[in-house]
Amino acid sequence: MLIDLHCGELIEPFGGRRWNRADIRRQIALRVGRFQELGVGPHDRVFLLFGNRLEFFAELVALWKCGACAIPIDARLTAFEVENLARAAAPKLVVVDDATPAGPIKVLEQAGIRTVPTADTGSAEAEAARVQLDHDALMLFTSGSTGDPKGVVHTHRSLRARWAGLRDHLPAAAFARSLCMLPTHFGHGLICNSLFPWLSGCDLFITPPFRPDLVTRIGAAIDEHAITFMSSVPPIWKLALKLAKPPQRGSLQRVHVGSAPLSAALWNDIRTWTGTPHVCNAYGITETGSWVAGLDRADVPAEDGLIGYGWGAVVKVLNTDDTSRPLCPENECKTGESGYVWLNTPALMKGYFRRDDLTAKAVVDGWFMTGDIGFLDDLGRLVLRGRERDEINKGGMKIYPSDIDAVVERYPAASDVCAFALDDPIYGQAVGMAVVLHDSGEEAICGLHAWMKVHLAEHKMPSRWWLIDAIPRTSRGKINRDAVKAACQQKPPLDIPSILARKMSP
Amino acid sequence: MNQDREARRQALLGFLRTIQKAGRPVESLSDTDRLVASGLIDSLAILQIVTYLETTYGIDFSIRGVSPEELGSIGGILDLIEQEKK
Repeated sequence: MLIDLHCGELIEPFGGRRWNRADIRRQIALRVGRFQELGVGPHDRVFLLFGNRLEFFAELVALWKCGACAIPIDARLTAFEVENLARAAAPKLVVVDDATPAGPIKVLEQAGIRTVPTADTGSAEAEAARVQLDHDALMLFTSGSTGDPKGVVHTHRSLRARWAGLRDHLPAAAFARSLCMLPTHFGHGLICNSLFPWLSGCDLFITPPFRPDLVTRIGAAIDEHAITFMSSVPPIWKLALKLAKPPQRGSLQRVHVGSAPLSAALWNDIRTWTGTPHVCNAYGITETGSWVAGLDRADVPAEDGLIGYGWGAVVKVLNTDDTSRPLCPENECKTGESGYVWLNTPALMKGYFRRDDLTAKAVVDGWFMTGDIGFLDDLGRLVLRGRERDEINKGGMKIYPSDIDAVVERYPAASDVCAFALDDPIYGQAVGMAVVLHDSGEEAICGLHAWMKVHLAEHKMPSRWWLIDAIPRTSRGKINRDAVKAACQQKPPLDIPSILARKMSP
Repeated sequence: MNQDREARRQALLGFLRTIQKAGRPVESLSDTDRLVASGLIDSLAILQIVTYLETTYGIDFSIRGVSPEELGSIGGILDLIEQEKK
């Protein structure tokens, strides 16, 4: 199969680099030549241990042309986490850039996995058309970096279904000059904010993710490059609204906010700052190819949690989260009645990589159980009210408590642990942790902190710790993380900085 | 160092303790150490510093604007407060 390449231009607005269509074709061809020389072919998996720059997109399309599956990896992960993901996915090789940390590169090379700098393209251009519609195209790890990795696998078919679904609902002209400030290793930033416009022929402006110094300059950048569309997450908007001068030239035609629910107040503030009424929540889940529901016409009154209608998806609210039996009409909630949000879409993932057990727990008869709680209003629009997913949403970055638990459980002095979400004024949620230690002395606490620093990416480190005697469990032995959090918040957390300071002082 | 600046410094250190990450004691930082690069806070915590300065010193950032560089160190924050007090 040939990959249509009606892509737009690629621009780094803060770095000043730009590739036109001819540049892009050449850069892809060089990398196809390099991958062919390295023996990359159909069904191979390749890690992309970098992102948010022009070369990332050339690597991605080149891999697809060769029939391989691209696996973008968060370069902030520790060497331990990257090695664990590599053990699960067995990549044929890893593409890195000059900002990829040395630690992960070293462990991958020790494991016999070849690393290739993205700048090393060679000079032999080549063409390839080895991809088929049902080949694996993309794998995105959503959790399990410290334990059993959970990789969402999308085929070319499911990705194309996502983009076709979006094209049916969203005004193409609004995406003509799209800005992405989100990481390219997760669904929202990659599949929808970047690839949807770019592969629809629109120009893509890509920046490093989550950089406050760039956020404060965003209004000027929007004006300079006549940006028509951007998507982001609530914490970035809070920062921009506070510190960045708004754009003056009225180029923005549409703005999405995703990865975390948008309040009506923030929604209206964003409209004022951006100068466009077309601002809406874009409800997305990696398993459904990210954006799966929202407002076609976004100039409606803002409401807390209002999402809208399915984009290339059927949205149902059901009174069950049971995926072990077929769904039936009796499961449907009435208008206004809260229940579990289920989705049916041709853009649904192929499944979790080599984890049919997990896939079976999430999907029944093609319906995906999101774990979100919501209702359909009088107009049939989805409104979100909460979630029952076991995850911490730190400013749109999904952190899974089990990943933290898995690291702490392996620390010899720890006998039990429970990580949970804490309310946070900036990120929405932050990470808290209750831990039971055999030895609760400061030496052991410092040792645990050092252990976690080695094994856990910085953004997953708990900001508050509680030392408790036992983790409360249900009669069936399950942890209720909300109950643990409530119990912890009855007393002050450990003063970890002071404990570490005492340890460091002579 | 004048007494006002020292008092503001102590108040600022007290605030930074409430938002800092666990890795490094705030007392170990000099006035010129970079708060984010040192690992004391993460980059988006700048928003909490802005809110602290607004509520504690009545600084209106929507009028004066700010660059993250100005808020990048303890000394930089104290300088900014002093500029606004003039």
